[in-house]
Amino acid sequence: MWSKRIPNGLTKMDRRRVVITGIGIVSSVGFGVTAFKEAIKAGRTGISPLQSFDTARFPYHMGGEVRDFDPAAWLQRLDPALYGPSSQFAAAAARMAVVDAGLDPELLAQSRAGSSVGSTSGEAGLVDRMTAAWLASGPADIPASLMAQLPANRLAGAVNRELGLTGEAFVVATACAAGNYAIGYGFDLLQTGEADYMLCGGTDSVSRYVHAGFLRMGAIAPLACQPFDKNRQGILIGEGAAMLLLETLAGAKARGAHIYAELLGYGMTCDAYNMVAPEPVSIASCIRRAHVNAGIRAEDVDYISAHGTGTRTNDVVETAAIKAVFGERRPPVSALKSMLGHTIGAASAHSLAACALAIDEGFIPPTINFETPDPECDIDCVPNQARAASLDVVQCNGFGFGGNNAAIILARHSWRNELVL
Amino acid sequence: MAERTSSIATALAVTGCGVVSPIGIGFEAFMEAFDDGRSGQVALGDYFAEPLPQKTACYLASFEVRDFLGRKGTSFYDRLTALGMVACDLTLAHSDLVITDANREMVGVIVGTSTGSLKSASDYSRETMTQEHPHWVNPILFPNTILNSLAGQAAIRYGLKGVNATVAGGQLSSLMVLRYASMVIRQGRANALVVGGVEEFTPHNAWRLHHTGLLEGTNTLMGEGSAMFVVEATTAVRKAGRFPLAEILACEVIQCGQLDEPEGLAQHFAGCISRALDRAGVTPEQIWAVSSSETGNCLLDTIERGGLNLALPQPLAHQLRVKRQVGECDSAAGAFQLAALLALYRKCTDGNRRCSLVLSVGEDGSMGCAVVKGGG
Repeated sequence: MWSKRIPNGLTKMDRRRVVITGIGIVSSVGFGVTAFKEAIKAGRTGISPLQSFDTARFPYHMGGEVRDFDPAAWLQRLDPALYGPSSQFAAAAARMAVVDAGLDPELLAQSRAGSSVGSTSGEAGLVDRMTAAWLASGPADIPASLMAQLPANRLAGAVNRELGLTGEAFVVATACAAGNYAIGYGFDLLQTGEADYMLCGGTDSVSRYVHAGFLRMGAIAPLACQPFDKNRQGILIGEGAAMLLLETLAGAKARGAHIYAELLGYGMTCDAYNMVAPEPVSIASCIRRAHVNAGIRAEDVDYISAHGTGTRTNDVVETAAIKAVFGERRPPVSALKSMLGHTIGAASAHSLAACALAIDEGFIPPTINFETPDPECDIDCVPNQARAASLDVVQCNGFGFGGNNAAIILARHSWRNELVL
Repeated sequence: MAERTSSIATALAVTGCGVVSPIGIGFEAFMEAFDDGRSGQVALGDYFAEPLPQKTACYLASFEVRDFLGRKGTSFYDRLTALGMVACDLTLAHSDLVITDANREMVGVIVGTSTGSLKSASDYSRETMTQEHPHWVNPILFPNTILNSLAGQAAIRYGLKGVNATVAGGQLSSLMVLRYASMVIRQGRANALVVGGVEEFTPHNAWRLHHTGLLEGTNTLMGEGSAMFVVEATTAVRKAGRFPLAEILACEVIQCGQLDEPEGLAQHFAGCISRALDRAGVTPEQIWAVSSSETGNCLLDTIERGGLNLALPQPLAHQLRVKRQVGECDSAAGAFQLAALLALYRKCTDGNRRCSLVLSVGEDGSMGCAVVKGGG
């Protein structure tokens, strides 16, 4: 049985502890950790009319696009002309995370360091460009440089190149849970001593065909994303990247780094049920796995950053799964997507960054656009206003197409010591 | 608290192999064809309505998913999903792993890819540009556009509720999948995994590869297909009195930035091979066979051979070049290289318990090496 296992026969004390010491953000509500923190504290929206593609003949045209992104302002080594927007976002966010961590970039480059990046669709916007070029003048005349930018492995390759890292450049494509998977793998590499620093997170960029696909499924809201609201109408397509610098607790302490939070563990399950519809039993099982892996009990969790897409189905299913695990004592649950839109493969990475900031700064980000309670979503969704709160342990949910679920548990880094001592 | 670094990576036992290749479908058929030196080359003729950059490829011209899996549930699979699903089906049938309700939560799927099905995504995009209303696309086909379509479909078909992931590593995909699988099992996150790579031949992929120029001036054709494996923790397999086809002792992957100095990169690659050997607890002299990723591309082959020569002192008993027969299958390449090695182990009984390498060098500066030990 899962719950009885101690992996590899090691006790938890044998393991290297893993902490977050740097956060880099590209988002519709701002660039960098400070702008992001202020925005989610203030409950600002990043939603505006989509501009990446012509929306004239689409019935709905709002989204969470990143505005005024100047790659040259953030990138030091990477030539943005050779990379698509998702790769640029990831590399820029990774550079920001290293600067935020106060880590010597030369030392980092010489260390056992790599990157782990989650994405749903890789360079989806470039697929639109390639297709338009094909329609216009046939496949032979599509620019070779455009074709070369399509493979999704380039997302992590861009991070390694920007930072001069020589460890593995890993891209995991587990749909809208991809950020959590990527961060989870970075955690495993550090915990087992396979790496000493990892840049981990998620990235995606807006595309015409992804907007069309969600629209056709009836999953796009006309104007606003309203998670857990009785009248919610769906998601809004967003974009951006969130990258975290992970290192060991011992390493962070030795260099006197600011520690946002400790990563305690995570869990993954697959619904094996339906490509697009979520399944509550499997999601509950994922959350329980995360708790067991992190060595916590459900009642330790002070706050849950929900997957919270704002679709009718997700929010009911997620609420049911949370109720199944937490019973009557449910912690506050809020949805970042109300502000950022659905940043797809970056979504759970944006959420995890928010969780780390919530612990560090003592607040819970709100679910904005909330008007009418839904009896089927009977949780405290922290409506419209951020809330001051001292948080020890938080949980970050991420679910995706293909039935992929991953939940990560973070804690204030001194929390475990207080328990042990 | 004492800091701890890992010693030897958890060995993975390969207990099943399913191959859908241009030279044969099923492990036995692949093995015979590979051993005979058969090529999967076919004339593309007028199989495709769209223009193509080449006249021949290692293409599975007569492949129909319903011939293997029936019509139920398969009609909306794109080609990539179909090729991969049949390989999953074959590997699960080949393995003696028994999946029941008691263990399915700890059995997962990990698949390697480059772009997912570029054709599915691009066709979807095309619909938004050519229809009267851009969102009049087919909702049932939407999941085919995302990179993890195959992994999700495989989980549904076989009821595999454990870790389900898709790794986008381009040429290195299959080795990255093995490395990730090793970590997942080592950390106790799954007990058994269906792993491998898949690539489809479509006009979209043909043009993509053509525009990279990687095969220009070589004799290697573009290929397609899928090779999948069942992997489990070796200790658990042996404890149960079962015999693996082979063991993956270690798998190392690095990223070396720009491919501009072949000599320096060969040295980096040699370091990667040496580290993999070290992690596996194997000496360079013990290496019996190498399954290489060579295509005839001057730069990449120079790095691969240079690294190998620096890392291994002795001539090898066997050097396998599976791409000569199945073509360049990009994210499935490493999986085919491993399948070729398993075929060699099966054919040569003197390979029992001997060690070999699967090497991979990508055009993006990524390089990898898996250390494999014959079963028996």
